[in-house]
Amino acid sequence: MACFTRRNFLHGAAATAALSGLASRPARASARTIRHFWWGNPERDRRTFEVIKAFQARHADIEVSGETIGWGDYWTKVATQTAGRNMPDLVQMDYRYLFEYVRRGALQPLDGFIGKSLMIGDFDKAPLEGGMVDGKLYALNIGSNSQVMVYNSRIFQEAGIDVDVLDWSYEQFAQVCEKITAKSGGKMKGSDDLSLTIDMLESFVRQNGREFYDAEGNVQATVEDTTAFWQYWADLRKAGVVRDKGKTIVLSPPLSDTGIVTGETAMGQHWSNQLVGIQALMKDEIGAGMVPKMANGRPGQFIKPSMFLSLSRDSRDVEAAMLYMNDWVSDPQITAILGIERGIPCSPRVREALKPNLKPVEVLSVNFFDAIQGKVAPVPPPPPKGAGEVRDAFMRIGTDVVLDRTKPADAASMFIEEAASIIERAR
Amino acid sequence: MKRFIARNAPGYLFLLPWFLGFFLLALGPILASLYLSFTRYDMVNAPRWIGFDNYTYMFTRDRRFWKALEVTFHYVALSVPARLIMALGVAMLLDKGLRSIGVYRAIFYLPSLLGASIAIAILWRQLFDANGVVNQTLGYFGIAGPDWLTNPDTSLYTLVILAMWQFGSPMLIFLAGLRGIPRDLYEAAEIDGTPRWRQFTRITLPLLAPVIFFNLVLQTIEAFKTFSSAFIISNGSGAPADSLLFYTVYLFNEAFKFFRMGYASALAWVLLIIIAVFTAIAFFTSKYWVHYENERD
Amino acid sequence: MELDEATRVAHAFMLKRKQQERNGRLLKHAFLLGVSFIMLYPLFWLLSASLKPENEIFGNLDLWPSTFKFDNYTAGWHALPQSFSVFYVNSAIVTILSVIGNLISCSFAAYAFARLRFTGRNFFFALMMMTLMIPYHVVLIPQYVQFLQLGWVDTYLPLVVPRFLASDTFFIFLMVQFFRQLPRELDEAAMIDGCSPFKIYWAIILPLSLPAMGTAAIFSMIWVWEDFLAPLIYLNDIKSYTVPLALRLFLDQEGQSAYGQMFAMSVLSLVPVVLFFLLFQKFIVRGIATSGMK
Repeated sequence: MACFTRRNFLHGAAATAALSGLASRPARASARTIRHFWWGNPERDRRTFEVIKAFQARHADIEVSGETIGWGDYWTKVATQTAGRNMPDLVQMDYRYLFEYVRRGALQPLDGFIGKSLMIGDFDKAPLEGGMVDGKLYALNIGSNSQVMVYNSRIFQEAGIDVDVLDWSYEQFAQVCEKITAKSGGKMKGSDDLSLTIDMLESFVRQNGREFYDAEGNVQATVEDTTAFWQYWADLRKAGVVRDKGKTIVLSPPLSDTGIVTGETAMGQHWSNQLVGIQALMKDEIGAGMVPKMANGRPGQFIKPSMFLSLSRDSRDVEAAMLYMNDWVSDPQITAILGIERGIPCSPRVREALKPNLKPVEVLSVNFFDAIQGKVAPVPPPPPKGAGEVRDAFMRIGTDVVLDRTKPADAASMFIEEAASIIERAR
Repeated sequence: MKRFIARNAPGYLFLLPWFLGFFLLALGPILASLYLSFTRYDMVNAPRWIGFDNYTYMFTRDRRFWKALEVTFHYVALSVPARLIMALGVAMLLDKGLRSIGVYRAIFYLPSLLGASIAIAILWRQLFDANGVVNQTLGYFGIAGPDWLTNPDTSLYTLVILAMWQFGSPMLIFLAGLRGIPRDLYEAAEIDGTPRWRQFTRITLPLLAPVIFFNLVLQTIEAFKTFSSAFIISNGSGAPADSLLFYTVYLFNEAFKFFRMGYASALAWVLLIIIAVFTAIAFFTSKYWVHYENERD
Repeated sequence: MELDEATRVAHAFMLKRKQQERNGRLLKHAFLLGVSFIMLYPLFWLLSASLKPENEIFGNLDLWPSTFKFDNYTAGWHALPQSFSVFYVNSAIVTILSVIGNLISCSFAAYAFARLRFTGRNFFFALMMMTLMIPYHVVLIPQYVQFLQLGWVDTYLPLVVPRFLASDTFFIFLMVQFFRQLPRELDEAAMIDGCSPFKIYWAIILPLSLPAMGTAAIFSMIWVWEDFLAPLIYLNDIKSYTVPLALRLFLDQEGQSAYGQMFAMSVLSLVPVVLFFLLFQKFIVRGIATSGMK
């Protein structure tokens, strides 16, 4: 017995010693610490850590802890930290998740700081509005975005397509698909099948003169909207000019699996800040067009914030956090480091300063952005709680349409009904 | 009292680390999740007690819950036997008399090392694509294969194949078990002229029973809890057409995508009960087919 | 003469037997080689992807890259804000401590469950099995809150301490199954000689269970090395990231990803695991030599 206890104790003692060594972290030299958490990629991480360095050179008394991880894992971690009331002071937000967090009270409004510590008076108003809920600004736009019909310019040239992709109709879009498919003997399809892309339906509804959700968060899209939308794509599918249905029902594929990258299609729907990423995976050069229009010519897409910077409920040093946030969007040195990697900045001054130093594919993105100004719809009201789930339901029910298990009209009434009940349950 | 201590002290002392870990670290969170299953909890605001609402919703109104159960049971029924047979077969091949056994062992374990990484997800999509390697191979035999992963009728099988292909860990455990069977038993049987399959049923199976039991129980539990491979291959959605909506994938999305941690906790406890029932059945029946060396009389 | 005939027959029999055995072995090798190829294909694929230029990884089934881009390895090593040397050291610290913790604490618990009698044994065993059954994602948040209150978040403590407290039920159960197989007479004889339970554990049970311990060491190393969720939740500072966490920094669903570099670093991350495997699998083999004593 003696032998047991002594040995056990020794093991235990050794382990404790090793672990206490692990636990001690270097004490922070500065009194004030803020944490900034973002999702990223190597390029974005490099730039952001450089920004932190530049900021700290100026504010030696504030330590900024930069924290980063990939997109998918980011949301799991933010949710966990939120539950533990240990959110970083500053969190990067996405349009899809922002409202879920705001409406639950996880973020602080920024209105009190505007004009005092947050100098955004000269920023474009429209993109800023994208971060507003119930008249308060909860998220600062750090890059704008819009839907873009990406096309393979080599294929377009070879098929002799000369439509104005910045102003084209759904009919013309269908004709382009036919032409490309015919030209390649059916090997190369015109486009991805966008039946399951709810952003396309939202544009569609907008072009019909309504928004998907009204200001109170009620579903305004109708069964007719949805039927017509699914029918349009069903017709293209029947004609065999869009990507195989098997590929369509794979939901949220990574960029690497989309038709234009794998070389199965000549077009696809993406977001303007993805242009750089798509180009990196492709040999052919890409081009950018707008969402097609209906006969009435109403615009479908709008300028949407691609990323926000938000102040969290758990921030312990709000003042330091705001200093950092302000430098982030307006300081010339810092905005130069950031470039347009996160999207197009909404300060005209910053945009001007960045222009001379852009890479070719970045120029594509900036030019596209400039070209669509004035041709887009106003920012819609923020989506209600549960919008993310509606998106999932849309893809799920749409899958049955794509697989020809349900008629567009039946699926549409099922979807609108379910959307309403999801929003109801989330309230 | 003194006798109680004297009799139990060694056992409790050896269990001390586990006692500390279980009662100080593990039990609290488990009970918390049980409590949360009776609440509405969005992870931002404090949980609100709602009694059995989560459970009644699950059983009466949630169609996807049943779908998730169906997918998971289907998967467990297919993958567990397939993987165990594969693992046992290869382990027995490797157990006997090959000098290069170490190399093979390493090779067969490699797929399991790759786990459920992004690389595997991309590879799997390329392999089982309509024009992928699998269909090209089938093509040589004149078989036109479907677009495996994107067809709701076949997508689950690709995950079963993945599970079979990653048979490394049960194989290794079988191998360790086979190594524990005394060689002289086989030699004696050989001299007696006992045929090979007889040796298998008379010597190998009974002596390996504790290890087979272990693998059966653990693989079943793991299969019920399968998450990473399904999550990563379906891009987190359970698509196509919910055919890869594994129970834990559904649970994860309810919790972290739709902010319904309370509901997710209720889902977790239902799964726990299902697994517990299966495990209990396994333990109960094991009396009849698993005999331990030290407990024979 | 008769004797000669007998040896001749015996010799012929031996020859035939050997021939059969050789054929059998060849067949076995052929079969194993075939299976090996299927097993290795993904590794070849991964290697090839790690050497390809970014725009060739997708939409191209060739295993042979058009140009070899070793740059993925050299650039990938330094592509993140910290170099991979840092991540490897971090992973090594966590893994080594965890493996030690697992082996000690789990074999203790397993020894108690398998060989000792005490009140409540079955009850505690059932409780322990329960921890295996609960889906990890729902205890994540309560656990996080608990470690946050202990002030352990952003340290390695939440990753390592539980392993010294026998948190990996898998290994306890595994060892229990193996310990229960050892002959009871050994303990009894030792007990009569006046050995303490610890002595029996240390001098009899452990040496006889090398295959099981080797298996546990291998699994423990691999699973800790590849563990992703716990480091994700508990480590904030990129300087403390482990290798699997670092691999998640390469991909961005929305924008620019670095697939080539990610694959290159994935290949490298397998190296320590494979080495460890080759090193420790000897124990599984050596097991017979010692346990053959029976």
